[in-house]
Amino acid sequence: MPRQLALNTHISGKFNIELENLRNSVLTMGGEVELQLVETLKAIRLNHAGLAEKVILNDLKVNAMEMQIDEECLRIIAKRHPTASDLRLVMTVSKAITDIERMGDEIERIARLVTKNKLPASEMIKSSMLQIGENVVEMMRGTFDALARQDEGAALEVYEQDNVIDADYKKLLTFTAQEMQKNTDDMQDWLEVLWALRSLERIGDRCKNICEYVVYLSRGKDIRHSPLENMQTKLDQLI
Amino acid sequence: MINIKFHRLLSPSQRQSFVMSITAFFSAILLLALGSMLSLICYRGLAYFWPSPIYTVSYYDAKLEQASVVYGQIFNEYEEHGEYIRWFLYSSVNHPTGNQMLLEQSNTLSVVESANSANITLKDGRTVMGVPAKLNNDGRLDYSPQRYLDMANRVAEIQTDIDNIQVQHLSQIHQQLAQLDTQDVADDAPARHKLNNGFSLWQQKIESLERQRNSYVLDVAMADGQTVAIPLADIESVFVPGQLNLLGRWQVFLRNIGQFLVQAPKQANTAGGVFPALFGTVLMVLVMTLIVAPFGVMAAVYLSEYAPDNFLTSAIRISVSNMASVPSIVYGVFGLGFFVYTLGGNIDSLLFSDTLPAPTMGTPGLFWAALTMAMLTLPVVIVATEEGLRRVPQGLRASSYALGATKAETVLRIVLPMASPGIMTGIILAIARAAGEVAPLMLVGAVKFAPNLPVDGDFPYFHLDRQFMHLGVLIYDGAFHSQTDAKGASMMFATCLLLLLVVVTLNILAVILRARLRNRYLVN
Amino acid sequence: MLKLFEHETLDVHNLGDEETAIGVKDLSLQFGQKPVLQNISLRIPKHRITALIGQSGCGKSTLISSFNRMNDLVPDCQYTGGIFINGRNINDKREDVSQLRTQVGIVFQRPNPFPMSIYDNVSYGLRLKGIKVRRYLDDAVEQALKEAALWDEVKDRLFDSARILSGGQQQRLVIARALALKPDILLLDEPTSALDPLTTLFIEELMAGLKKRCTIVIVTHNMQQAARVSDYTAFLHQGQLVEYADSDTLFTMPEFKQTEDYITGRYG
Repeated sequence: MPRQLALNTHISGKFNIELENLRNSVLTMGGEVELQLVETLKAIRLNHAGLAEKVILNDLKVNAMEMQIDEECLRIIAKRHPTASDLRLVMTVSKAITDIERMGDEIERIARLVTKNKLPASEMIKSSMLQIGENVVEMMRGTFDALARQDEGAALEVYEQDNVIDADYKKLLTFTAQEMQKNTDDMQDWLEVLWALRSLERIGDRCKNICEYVVYLSRGKDIRHSPLENMQTKLDQLI
Repeated sequence: MINIKFHRLLSPSQRQSFVMSITAFFSAILLLALGSMLSLICYRGLAYFWPSPIYTVSYYDAKLEQASVVYGQIFNEYEEHGEYIRWFLYSSVNHPTGNQMLLEQSNTLSVVESANSANITLKDGRTVMGVPAKLNNDGRLDYSPQRYLDMANRVAEIQTDIDNIQVQHLSQIHQQLAQLDTQDVADDAPARHKLNNGFSLWQQKIESLERQRNSYVLDVAMADGQTVAIPLADIESVFVPGQLNLLGRWQVFLRNIGQFLVQAPKQANTAGGVFPALFGTVLMVLVMTLIVAPFGVMAAVYLSEYAPDNFLTSAIRISVSNMASVPSIVYGVFGLGFFVYTLGGNIDSLLFSDTLPAPTMGTPGLFWAALTMAMLTLPVVIVATEEGLRRVPQGLRASSYALGATKAETVLRIVLPMASPGIMTGIILAIARAAGEVAPLMLVGAVKFAPNLPVDGDFPYFHLDRQFMHLGVLIYDGAFHSQTDAKGASMMFATCLLLLLVVVTLNILAVILRARLRNRYLVN
Repeated sequence: MLKLFEHETLDVHNLGDEETAIGVKDLSLQFGQKPVLQNISLRIPKHRITALIGQSGCGKSTLISSFNRMNDLVPDCQYTGGIFINGRNINDKREDVSQLRTQVGIVFQRPNPFPMSIYDNVSYGLRLKGIKVRRYLDDAVEQALKEAALWDEVKDRLFDSARILSGGQQQRLVIARALALKPDILLLDEPTSALDPLTTLFIEELMAGLKKRCTIVIVTHNMQQAARVSDYTAFLHQGQLVEYADSDTLFTMPEFKQTEDYITGRYG
């Protein structure tokens, strides 16, 4: 059975506080990025360049957060010499913030679509994009929730949501390709749209990574780079 | 060559067991020596108290050229030049209170254990062996133990009366007469006359009582049928060894031990008890402890806690440990020369000049003996205490200082309590040593016979200037008698046993005390 | 600017007098002819835990001992320079050392309770000061034991011998013994090196709690311990102060190579 991590049971009260702060800070950062995505989607829907500009600027804050958390991880490793679950937590946080920061970058790229006024004219593409975006937000929420609760079951559920996103993305990509052949003049703009679509899909992948970290955190097993079926049998064996 | 062969001869394991056998052999010899010493002293010492049988001895008296018969006890027997020899202590008409005789087997006619002959112990320590026949008091009555006890009680009552008169009346008159003397009252003054009359009246009373007392006599029949009359007032106890059962023998045995412990020596330390010697030994040791303990502990505390770590300190330390190996007689000579003559002489000329030339402190006495023994045992206490002090962990001292304690506070509150097992060890070792030491004592105050105990009812109750008796000296004295006197020799062994018991008791006490202290102050 | 983590650090190199518990100025110390400390200058901040680390024989224990003049017990110990506590130079010959030691308590490596009852151990220092009022002593003993987190374990056997306590309890008793005197500064000379890891953590947690009450200076061989408990760390090497900084900095990016080599376990 996976052990529920008990962060606040160390003899050292300070250590308890530090770990708790570290975990909270990741969730704060995740929440920030999630909000960024929601804002971006809103900007796309309303074609609101100002909102998108704000999102782009706000990414600096996310970057600063990553740096601070990274430093804190380093500090905890240097000063507290965490072991076992504590070490996994610190490592998980350290890796997760990299992914979260990248999510921020992807979001920034999508937002630039709005500021550069290169949104596709096709309502169909736009609504599909928003649809995928909503799914990604959903997935992000689930991911951070799983991380907060260190709930590997929830993490696995979220993990599978990425398949839907991937399928939608492929569909939209095909559709977009057809549209592109119709309007071959604005090839440059189309490329931007493709990049943005890809970014959206990448956020899903990043969420998947974080879910893997959550499993690693609660079980101490690395499940990256293995098909889901294998992973499930592996997990069953473990249970 | 031999060495090489030896190595080749024995395998390593054999060699090991060879070494073990050799060491075990020497240990066994040591044990044997110790065991035989202990058993000799125990056997001879305890035999002194056990009632020995009385024999009817018929023999050919070479001097008188006729056969004689006496009651006697064997105290030594051995074979020499093919001749079996017995030493007897016997009673006869000529020597009713005992005499010694060597009897060869060739002159012996018969030696038969006597069933009726009694062992009559006199109050002066001598013994008469014979059959109690008649009790004399206004007519002769046949002897029976009950009748004897009645008469003995009556004699004791008369004796009490005599003593009372002497204490209450005569001594009072003596004092009043002495007062008159100091007041220069004329010889024919009426007051004096009156006192003298009273005195002679009481004197007459005593004389009549004494006559009455002396009329109680026990007739004792010797082996040859002649009788000897012994005043009942002189007799301490009567028992017939031949009629005693085992329980009776044990009673006599225990009574003898009791008397040995509470009575004073008699017959020039060949009979009676050793109480004054035991008392003197214990008191001397106590006084010595009171002197040596503070001196030794303080010296050790200075040496180990305060003295700077330099050449002088180590020199002092070495001298102290060497002091322990100075022959004890040297201390005796020092005690006599310095304490008694110099110190005591000066005290006399300063404080007791009115009684000079008769010395008060300038003569060997218990205090000087205790002081001399304290000097002798000082190194033991110092070395043991220093050892104890060294064992107190440095960390504890540092902790004490760290809480704001000064050096003196640390020593008093932490170091000394923790060193107390070591200090106790030293003191008890000193006591054991002092209890067994004889030679220096003979120079500074221990005597063969002291008329008074060093503690009595006269002011100031402790007379530490008095000479005293000592168990060791008694043994030493007994050793001289052993060649001539059978009983004396046995008493020497008994005294030896007692001294051994005293020392062992002190040592056991030490071990228990030390264990308890160590347990309390154990350092983990 | 958003700040996720609060770590306040003082600049120990420019510490104000108000914030300084112990000011060491040009302290040099030698045992006989052997120099042990050379020109040490540092300021130890109030109500913080400062760790002294370094190899055996680097002089860290000697330095800590000089804060309450315990080095006076070592013969041939000579020192120059000043140590300022509460504005007084305690190296002054006129300093009342007994009084100083009640203000600056020290706890040694081996737990060494006195061979007396728990109560007597804790009240030892107070009794030395001449306090005999039973009720006052009772209160002080209780408070000190509570501060040392030992009260609950021993309150029913205060008059039993202190020897029956376990190693960790004994060390806390020794800390309580020092705390009973209400010191401003508590010096800990390798306080946990004789204890097992878990007990060590308890003592460390105790220290963290005590820092509200007094300034703590700890000497330790255990770098992890220094990292865990201390706010500031000084690294000494061969009698010299190599680096002195807040522990976060010193254990993540030390300035000097010597420090780096020592804390990473390399040949210096």
